[in-house]
Amino acid sequence: MKALVVDDSALARNIIASTLEEVGITEVDLAKDGTESIELVQSNRYDIIFMDWNMPVMQGIEAVKEIRHQGITTPIIMVTGLGDEFHVKEAIGAGVNNYLIKPFKAETAIEKIKETLKTVEV
Amino acid sequence: MKTPIENIVKTKLKEIATCGTNSHQSIKAEIINPFIESAENLFQTMFSSPIKKENPNLQTRLEPTLDIISLIGLSGAFQGIVSMSFPIKTSLNMVSYLYGKDIVVVDSTVIDAVAEFVNVLAGGAQSKLNKILNEPIELSIPTVIRGNQFSIEYPMMAKWIEIPFTSNLGQFVIRVTVKNPNMVGGILS
Repeated sequence: MKALVVDDSALARNIIASTLEEVGITEVDLAKDGTESIELVQSNRYDIIFMDWNMPVMQGIEAVKEIRHQGITTPIIMVTGLGDEFHVKEAIGAGVNNYLIKPFKAETAIEKIKETLKTVEV
Repeated sequence: MKTPIENIVKTKLKEIATCGTNSHQSIKAEIINPFIESAENLFQTMFSSPIKKENPNLQTRLEPTLDIISLIGLSGAFQGIVSMSFPIKTSLNMVSYLYGKDIVVVDSTVIDAVAEFVNVLAGGAQSKLNKILNEPIELSIPTVIRGNQFSIEYPMMAKWIEIPFTSNLGQFVIRVTVKNPNMVGGILS
């Protein structure tokens, strides 16, 4: 399986990549903003995408809309500190499959990953 | 008849309750407490460390009492700025803990991490504030300043509340200022 992790923070990318390793996903591409993520999804096939919301250049929510606009159906988990209902609803409306609120414990992230991949398999 | 000490305590409590001497410039507990709760959650979740809140202070400008400061702006229903300040030692302890190796100099890894800390802190507080205000609040991109040769003043944001904390990884300080501090009521707990 192959994952894309999009976050302007190297620390956040590192934490998510480590969590992915725990579920056996070792092939991970990294992007620093929404624009980079769109370029990567156009030339790669991913099984899951982790998208931060608050990033420079292009916000995560805009990247999600663009990815879905391009017809790419890869499951996306929004990983952000913005855990209020306004942002959750907006993300779901834009095509996000799951929502992980920072800060998170590894076990919470693993649960979300499994939950998301299971939903897609069904 | 109250004793002088009782009067001093009463005055101090009143100051803390309104975070200022002027009601127009006060910062209410319902605004500040979400940042304190968010800091507790951040340290417990990321560092398995409890934190201890020290006595809050009021400042009229943001001055660098510690070595590294990360700032983030909040806009929308709530307009203000939040900062986290760290001594170098605390920042190195925190980043070393997360990367699982000793990091001994402040480099781009540390700067990146302290920006993420204030982002997560503000995000957690934002979520709680949204429940009170029932309107969206947005965050800016964090900024990190290293060094102590600066001062930031905001004429529209007359007061900064400064809350020092201690943790297993060292001390740190959170500062918050808001443009319209009277938008919600409450008492600082």
